[in-house]
Amino acid sequence: MSLVGSVECKTRDVDSIKRAIREAFNLIDYSLPEAKKIVIKPNMCYYWDWSTGQTTDPLFVAALIDLLREEISSDVEISIVESDASAMKCKYAFKYLGYEKLAKDCNVDLVNLSAVEAEKATVKVEDEVFEFMVPKIIRDADLCVNVPKMKYMIFTKISVALKNIYGCNPYPKKFEYHSKLNKVIVALNKVMPFDLHVLDGLTVCGSKTLRLGLVMASQDPVAVDAVAAKIMGVNPKSVVHLKLAEEEGLGKTSFAVKGANIDYFRKRFPRRGFSEKAITLGYRVACKLGLDKRLV
Amino acid sequence: MGVIGLGFIGKVHLRNCLSLKSVKVVAAADTSKKTLNYARDFGVKQLFTDYHELLKLKDLDAVIIALPTHLHADCAINAMEEGKHVFLEKPLARNVKEGREIVSAARKNDVKFMVGYPLRFVPEFVDLKSQMESGMLGDIQMAHAVDVAAGPFFHRAESTTPRPVPEWWLNKELTGGGALMDLGCHMINLLRWYLGEAADVKARLGYRFNFDFEDYATCIIDFECGASAVVNVGWFSQNAAVGVELFGTMSYARAYFSPSSKVVTAIKLILGKTPKFFIPYLKEISHFVDYIQNDNGENPLSGENALRDLEVIIKAYKNKVK
Repeated sequence: MSLVGSVECKTRDVDSIKRAIREAFNLIDYSLPEAKKIVIKPNMCYYWDWSTGQTTDPLFVAALIDLLREEISSDVEISIVESDASAMKCKYAFKYLGYEKLAKDCNVDLVNLSAVEAEKATVKVEDEVFEFMVPKIIRDADLCVNVPKMKYMIFTKISVALKNIYGCNPYPKKFEYHSKLNKVIVALNKVMPFDLHVLDGLTVCGSKTLRLGLVMASQDPVAVDAVAAKIMGVNPKSVVHLKLAEEEGLGKTSFAVKGANIDYFRKRFPRRGFSEKAITLGYRVACKLGLDKRLV
Repeated sequence: MGVIGLGFIGKVHLRNCLSLKSVKVVAAADTSKKTLNYARDFGVKQLFTDYHELLKLKDLDAVIIALPTHLHADCAINAMEEGKHVFLEKPLARNVKEGREIVSAARKNDVKFMVGYPLRFVPEFVDLKSQMESGMLGDIQMAHAVDVAAGPFFHRAESTTPRPVPEWWLNKELTGGGALMDLGCHMINLLRWYLGEAADVKARLGYRFNFDFEDYATCIIDFECGASAVVNVGWFSQNAAVGVELFGTMSYARAYFSPSSKVVTAIKLILGKTPKFFIPYLKEISHFVDYIQNDNGENPLSGENALRDLEVIIKAYKNKVK
């Protein structure tokens, strides 16, 4: 059973967020290790800024950076990483989502993983072998911190900690993996295991956007995903990549939550209703039948 | 008819043209071969990656140009010199000089020229004009126009699926401006339709997303008729609001464009029907075709008209306040 720390953070300011993250670490008895190079992977799925609940709040990352510098060392080298995707380019996302300003204010580097040195790596999931380029910056980091959001996703039901690592794949045409998305998510997590997962649930996007004020931390991405799924009203056992990740030894879907009761967040989370589920199903069917090409 | 440029709006125009009985789409052009397949799937036979080749076709009377703004002048003038009637997407051009060159080329080559302003065909805005003209609002003293949307960061009309943002959108040199140029031209065109010519304009430009062009703007326009208007435009919202409010000495009235839900839009697209959102686009093309075929001389969306919108926008940029 994996430990997940859960804390409510009611206000959106660096000090409050930092306090909440620190408390979440304490709840799971996590001590930050000695480190010279740290990589932080926020979620930047598209040009939706933090206020939509779709992407990691730069203020959340600023608070995390403050905490890492206080706890580890003031001169620790921190890089915020993301890669180009089918519909998103890092050079615009960094600027548009407020990360360029954050990098300047906090003196950290912004790294486009699609434009840095990477090494080939092969990884097996079930009976299928995948080959990816692993960015050297991730391989060489002393500490890799994943800072996901919690969202519904058409093809994988949920997008939380495991899915966020999909964005560490430097190959930009990510839509090409959509037919094998579940296996690819697990494969990427196997080839680039992150040490720590700190979920930014301050503002979330479900059926609508809501200030949920949730901060979660765990060393187990599968457990974070399982807790998030419960809050979102999704049965973790129905999430294929979660089941697969557990089978591949990436973590456990059985969890113990310490701190704020997840029922409190579950009741408030803006869950999808029947119509939203029908839209998702309809869209998936349209994609399978090739009818999505008719949509402009 | 030929369609030049098959981005989001080019595809909409192509589908709309195909649904009009009085139009035969004979060709399409786009720099992307992959994108041209979209037109091929709809039965368009002659496909070009260079629009100059399309313009040489003899059996082509008119073209719809839906290209990035920096290509408007070159493409429109070339088309006019080849004797084609031209429907050009808004904004007319990225600056007044290019706008004047296009308008002058249309006159010189004696071709029909129309600039796309779909909001002029939205029933709610047409009705607002009727209410105003009936006198029931009295003398209009103030107006408010708003067009707040996601700008280039929009998704497919029917879903939350993000679409890649064409890079030219994010280059001020190629667009001539940001949200004020992109959305402001719609609102200024509507307000000029309601209130007449603008006498003066000031703008406050906003930069929420840290680009070197504005992603939102507020303009204050003084009209020659004595009325004043505030125009708010922005690229920051996932849920579009497009509307005009008129305040007169007797009463006030408002009109908002409200397209149907994403689900209805998706179903209609899949069934090959025109969703409500695209009906104004269909009407404007229909108007263009009627203007060419019937030669009745009426063209409320002339190049000269669009040039005046552009002049107001450029003046607003010059008169920006901090």
